[in-house]
Amino acid sequence: MNPTVNSTTAARLDALRGGQPPVNHTARTLVGLSANPGCSRRALLDACGADKGKVARQAGYPWPFGQSPFALSRGNAFERQVKEHGGARLLALLRESLGLPIEQVAYIPLESVGDNANRELRYRRTRQVLAHAARGGSSPGILYDHPMLRLAVGGQLVYLEPDVIAFKIGDKFHVVEIKSFPVIDRQADGTQVAAATRQAAVYVIALRELFADAGLDPDLVAASIFLVTPKNFGNTPIATLIDARKQIAMMTTQLARMDRIETLVKLLPAQVSFDLAVDAAGVARRPQAQLAGDLRQVPARYRPECLDHCELAGLCRAEARQDDSLDVYGPGVADVLGGIGTAQTALALAEGQRIPSADQTDVARALRHAERLRTELAAGAELAGGAA
Amino acid sequence: MGQLRQALRTAMVERDAARASGLRRELRHAETLWQDKAAALGQGEGAVLTAAGPPAVDRAVTALLPTREQVHQVLSLLEVAAAPKLITAVHGAFFPGELPASRLASMRRDEERSYRSAPNARPYYVCPALTADRLAPARALLTVSTWPLERRIVGAHSPRVDFLTATTKIATAIEWFDRRGPHWLADARARADRLLRSFAVSIPGALAPPELSGHAPPLDPRQVAEAAEAELAVHVAVDRAEREQAAAWARQRLPETERLFGTRLQMIRNDASSH
Repeated sequence: MNPTVNSTTAARLDALRGGQPPVNHTARTLVGLSANPGCSRRALLDACGADKGKVARQAGYPWPFGQSPFALSRGNAFERQVKEHGGARLLALLRESLGLPIEQVAYIPLESVGDNANRELRYRRTRQVLAHAARGGSSPGILYDHPMLRLAVGGQLVYLEPDVIAFKIGDKFHVVEIKSFPVIDRQADGTQVAAATRQAAVYVIALRELFADAGLDPDLVAASIFLVTPKNFGNTPIATLIDARKQIAMMTTQLARMDRIETLVKLLPAQVSFDLAVDAAGVARRPQAQLAGDLRQVPARYRPECLDHCELAGLCRAEARQDDSLDVYGPGVADVLGGIGTAQTALALAEGQRIPSADQTDVARALRHAERLRTELAAGAELAGGAA
Repeated sequence: MGQLRQALRTAMVERDAARASGLRRELRHAETLWQDKAAALGQGEGAVLTAAGPPAVDRAVTALLPTREQVHQVLSLLEVAAAPKLITAVHGAFFPGELPASRLASMRRDEERSYRSAPNARPYYVCPALTADRLAPARALLTVSTWPLERRIVGAHSPRVDFLTATTKIATAIEWFDRRGPHWLADARARADRLLRSFAVSIPGALAPPELSGHAPPLDPRQVAEAAEAELAVHVAVDRAEREQAAAWARQRLPETERLFGTRLQMIRNDASSH
């Protein structure tokens, strides 16, 4: 299937998903994955291309995840407006802010190869067209709409389909990210800009890999991204050039750190499967509990931030609560109580009902101190209450 | 020209490809001559527009036209490959009756089926634009089968060229409607203005600089058309070369059905034009 994962692993990953079609990675899912690089459950489900939303629903933990349909349709409408008529608005913006010469208007759609939308075919076509342009061929391309990119994540190649335009000015390629959050008086919401920049950074990395793959200099891709957003309260697009060097470096490190999928697959018990097959009546073939049980065989690392990033968050949170895990309280609490796994242990140590092991002594002392303070405060409050 | 058209239609019905292509050439020549004459005659009473302007058909009749006729009307005004959204917008501005974009969705397939079951039984077919590199149907772009192949093929520069051409056509149509007197339907003039303005913002020099009061600058169709033509002059030669190369290749290699509706074979690649 692909060169970095051997064929047994690839076959096992395909089998894990059952008969469902694979779900594509997007920059959003990669950013989510890299936000919690140690989570094997997410890494595995993403690697096998399972639809995490459906898996979570069928396992009995539906999680309202994703963008609101209104935000989505607003985003799509704005993007269409910027891109329509061969990127007419975008060309105007580029001419205005980067001094793009008038004669450079070529627009090359890469969203399908003829009628064929096969991912590998599209990737090859993207690589061919971009490499040709980079070598300074006669290809007149300036705007490349919907390129298909490929990136190695956790030792596996994933396809990325950015809703994005790459453009070439001079001999550098830039990435354009179109977002529908407003820039009011040249000020935008910091978290949204950060999220957009992180996503675009993934595309920059993927584009660089594409050039490296084609035997070209990866530095042909500029480290700054071109963010197109609505201006003030209207629909007029405005362009901002953002330096994304920091985000690119950060995402590169995160992507490199991710566990290798092969190791995960090897550790997996043979009968585990995330098959969602339904019978003729539309009832799932595998009982809910069995699917949930299989999911639990893969270790997760739950954190409260997962609620923003992952469709499986509901399941993982329920599991963490059930296990009385300290992860539910976030990394702050978990770090302070290092060496203690569950809330129960922590309480027992605080109340002195449990003898701490050697590595827990320090934490246990702190916990007991805290417990004493709490009791004193409670007693003081009672006295004050009694006096009044 | 009318006679030529009729002869061409007969030839097409009789599937006499050689005669039809000869007649098509003659007809194109006659049309060019006619347009040149009209242009030379100059400024008199919308002479330029008799060829390009929308046909003055009785409104009650137009409103009852079938979808494909409505689309044909719009495409004849624009004279370039257009996406359903643009077709609907232009129709809303210049023609009476409804033309919802949803009705355009299945049209391409219906037209192709109709052609395949009885080739050339109709005077024209609405067919997809073809991509210059693969001669495959381009996404969501509609054209008319009677147009020359060069106009139905889109290359890398064609989106911009077609956009600028469409702008000039819309601007001249607005002028023509204005000159012909009270021909505007309710709200149609406002719709046409909005459409033209949305195009003009992307063309250098098409709009006057913004006023200090912050109001949008006034829209002058003449100025928009001139600005679009000025930019068009920059791209037209490159674009024409791309299209002609692809068209020559298509004439050599493709049977008529595929010249109209595009090839779906992945093996065929036009190395000449993609490099």
